[in-house]
Amino acid sequence: MSVTVAADQQVVSAIVTALEEVLGQELTDVTEQTRLFDDLSLDSTSVLGLLMALEDALDMQVDPEGLEQSHLETVGSLAAFIAESR
Amino acid sequence: MAPPYPSFLAGVKSACTGSADTPFVLLGNFEVEDEWARDEVGLPTVGGRASTAIVNRMDEFAVLLAGPGDHVVLKSAPDPDYLAYLTDLGIALPTILVTDQSDPAATVSEDALRSPRLQAALRDLAGTGAHLLPHGMSTLEARLCEATGLAPSLPPVPVVKAVNSKVYSRRVARDLGLPLAVGWECETVAEFAEAAKEAARSVAAGRRVGVKDAYGVSGKGIVVVEDPRRLDQLVRMVTRRAEKTGDQRIALVLEEWADKALDLNYHFTVGRDGSVRFDFVKEALTENGVHKGHRIPARISAAHTAQLVETADRLGRRLAADGFHGIVGVDAITTGDGGLLPVLEINARNNMSTYQTGLQERFMGPGTVALARQYDLTLTGPVGFADLRDQLGDLLLTTGGGSGLLVNNFATVNAAAPGPDDPRPYAGRLYGLLLAGSEAELADLDHAIARTVRKETVNV
Repeated sequence: MSVTVAADQQVVSAIVTALEEVLGQELTDVTEQTRLFDDLSLDSTSVLGLLMALEDALDMQVDPEGLEQSHLETVGSLAAFIAESR
Repeated sequence: MAPPYPSFLAGVKSACTGSADTPFVLLGNFEVEDEWARDEVGLPTVGGRASTAIVNRMDEFAVLLAGPGDHVVLKSAPDPDYLAYLTDLGIALPTILVTDQSDPAATVSEDALRSPRLQAALRDLAGTGAHLLPHGMSTLEARLCEATGLAPSLPPVPVVKAVNSKVYSRRVARDLGLPLAVGWECETVAEFAEAAKEAARSVAAGRRVGVKDAYGVSGKGIVVVEDPRRLDQLVRMVTRRAEKTGDQRIALVLEEWADKALDLNYHFTVGRDGSVRFDFVKEALTENGVHKGHRIPARISAAHTAQLVETADRLGRRLAADGFHGIVGVDAITTGDGGLLPVLEINARNNMSTYQTGLQERFMGPGTVALARQYDLTLTGPVGFADLRDQLGDLLLTTGGGSGLLVNNFATVNAAAPGPDDPRPYAGRLYGLLLAGSEAELADLDHAIARTVRKETVNV
């Protein structure tokens, strides 16, 4: 199940930067369709680092436990969740 | 030291059951930490801790740990061409039992508990004196023992769980006076807030600090902090959660990241009688803290090896005194200044290195060097073992000696395949033990395999 949205490009770009930080590698082919767990091998605790980096980058607070699995399906679905939380 | 046995596994049987001939039923319930963590409070998690389809198919590793008189429970039958390949290498395989159903999101233990037909077969085996040897013992495997009458090889769950906590690892290392990274154990939110303040000073001084779940799977359940603000954020998140749930418990350790030269994994077996057998030390290969494989033998000094042998003996005695018997692996590191931190964490369960022991005994001579590793694949459709064998050609180990890749888990290659209607590429993992006569040959072999699997099995 993936969520299709017209994601905010500022949020997508912040997510990609945050992903590079938590995964410790440069990401070149990430799109809104990229799957966080299947394609990038993110695990549930790396997500925590990701959220903290996003809190900083976008100056906001995220409740990790408010996040559902479907929000973490793809870069696009996470961007949609973050955009709604701002 | 315990007396030597004809094989690693025979020694484990003797240690855990009192006889080197006890038949085992093996169960590869990887990431058993998720079960131990179930009633613990750790780092905030998102999206649950469900294991991935690939991790759940790591169950197939148990096939090569077991002997011909043993049984192995798997989520699905191995590729027949893979089994034929192993048999052609002269490996005497165990009897394979398959769960009645296989949910990709479930561990082999969860599937086994929903499998009446399998359980009937296990009840028959219980009658022959078979013991269950899981990857690690949690309430799920205890329930399987109760349901089938299989005797557990390992101690009761509360004992196993207690000695697998990273809080326990640090406390035991400190009690025994072993060198230990600067760090803090936290069992309440208040302790965590206090430790975070001290850790923030370490971070501000330019050191990195790892915040680890007491029951995190190796390489997961860790936040590496390089910015003191992250610690404030974590304390805030954890405090908010505690206010919401009214539960002030937490099980975390914070630890300064040492200046690592090499990762090591050493292994010993603790007997019911309190005896301790040192098994081996291997160099561990990690990438961003995630386990990627082993190098055998480890490139460490004789003095460091001797220190680890002695540490294993002391840890083993302590574990025995705390009621544990069974297989234990410990992660350690050598440091940039030539030192050794002998206890990063104690894993009183099978380790990845455990599953290579039978292959080492059979295929590694005195001059052999080996590399256990995984190749990450991107696939667009299921790949059979016969396809892979054709693509690898001479790179695959095909005789009892010589060099080549010995595939030691094939189920993980196709484990994450989506439904037939989903055209998206998916990740696969190929695990193997590479054997060669020299360092240079080993490196060439590794590069050649990496090139082949990247080019040939990717149909994107």
